[in-house]
Amino acid sequence: MKELKFLTALWKTNLASAMEYRVAFISQTIGMILNDGVYFLVWIIFFDRFKDIRGWQLTDMFLVFGVSASAFGLAGILFGNAFNLGEIIVNGRLDYYLSLPRPTLLHVLTSRAVPSGFGDFLYGFVSYLASGQFSIDGLGRFVLAVILATVIFITFLVIVQSLAFWLGTGGTFTGIAINAMVTFALYPITLFNNTAKLVLFILVPAAFMGAVPAGFVRSFSWSTLGLMSLAAAGFLSLAVLLFRLGLRRYESGSAIQVEV
Amino acid sequence: MKKYFGIFKINLLNSLAYPAELVTRSLMIVLFMWIFYQLWRVTFAASGADVINGLTLRDTMWYLLLAETLELGRPRLARVISQQVKDGSIAYLLNKPYDFLLYQLSSGLGESLPRMGMLFVLGGALVWAMAGPPPALVNWPLALLALAGAWLLHFCANALIGLSAFAVEEVAPFEWIYQKFVFILGGMLIPLDFYPAWLQAVAKSLPFAYMMYGPCRLFVRPDMQIFVQIILGQVFWLMVSGGILILAFSRGMRRLAINGG
Repeated sequence: MKELKFLTALWKTNLASAMEYRVAFISQTIGMILNDGVYFLVWIIFFDRFKDIRGWQLTDMFLVFGVSASAFGLAGILFGNAFNLGEIIVNGRLDYYLSLPRPTLLHVLTSRAVPSGFGDFLYGFVSYLASGQFSIDGLGRFVLAVILATVIFITFLVIVQSLAFWLGTGGTFTGIAINAMVTFALYPITLFNNTAKLVLFILVPAAFMGAVPAGFVRSFSWSTLGLMSLAAAGFLSLAVLLFRLGLRRYESGSAIQVEV
Repeated sequence: MKKYFGIFKINLLNSLAYPAELVTRSLMIVLFMWIFYQLWRVTFAASGADVINGLTLRDTMWYLLLAETLELGRPRLARVISQQVKDGSIAYLLNKPYDFLLYQLSSGLGESLPRMGMLFVLGGALVWAMAGPPPALVNWPLALLALAGAWLLHFCANALIGLSAFAVEEVAPFEWIYQKFVFILGGMLIPLDFYPAWLQAVAKSLPFAYMMYGPCRLFVRPDMQIFVQIILGQVFWLMVSGGILILAFSRGMRRLAINGG
């Protein structure tokens, strides 16, 4: 309860901070919605020409894009530092968070909001509406799927970037990991053979950010919900464990700095 | 010209100074080409044809490789220039004895060439292994000329977006949308040949096709008539975008206020 209050206060501050540059905030939000919409035209053109990829159709793409975009956006809004955690570790900027009486990982992740995330988050709902699969209970499933996909995406980012404690480098590897996750999530899962699918469920869990939650939005299934929840819990535990182990190796030049 | 060659050389050597970093940064193309191969392999198989609208699976993959090389290898000048405008560091470039835009062109080229080379080699190795050998060497000169024109068009568009920081707070949305127009109307993710006829006509009447489709199509299916069309189109759009860029730069200079240093 105490941590929830703390998180709410941080999120409010982040929102106020983003809204301070109102024009930039609005332009980034609208710009990202347009960006996502124009990008999706690729799939409209593709499925207009080729109709079907091993049973995968345009409706499926709308759902996959909807869940992935909203999850990506929500991650940026609520846990914006998840995108540059490796850089923070390598540059010794964890000192600031370590000196405060709050859970370090949670604090560092929530200390920044990515303004364009609002655009991605909203676009996801537009994409869901455009899929033609809208219903009230479907919307509930969509929201639940987005939350679970966000947890898996964030924890994957934490796992990958915690490697910076051992490797001493962050940026490039993180870029590849984010690209891998997003790219794999946004392509029809029917393209991949069983080995590749195994990779997409375990090593780069993109299936849990795209195809699996999209299937859940389409129709409720206890087994899919159980699988997503299990994956979210598993990746969350692994992320926290790896970050804590890494923290034992953390060293810096005592660079206490003001975070603005 | 000598000083611009000097700037180009410094940036080229700078990019080559950390080969491991260059390779790691370029690995992204392997991932993209692998996914593209999965998509187009299944698509060609599902259509039951070896050739779709004049392109084979091998042509499609080499087309996409060149497109990705250009997209991932071109310098992100819009971000660099807009940052220079916003934080005022542009002042340090303006008081030097060189032209600001030619400086950006030379440094961007020096940075871009090694990256494009590495992307092509890494991605090409995978495409070769999966889809077959590259187009005959005789095809390459025409494609390389068109690639140079495409790179210059990207430069003009990016510099223009970067300079828009003189007028607006945030240029990132322009950059995202410009990139997506290149994706769609440039035929970066799907060759324009696979588009419906009306959309092909629209795309080919805009500059984006000359920034991407032109060199990639020439690479896999060289044709002198198409080459001439592409070069003429590139020259036309370079005159238009270059003219707007020079105008925007001189207007930006009038708005620039430098306080202290």
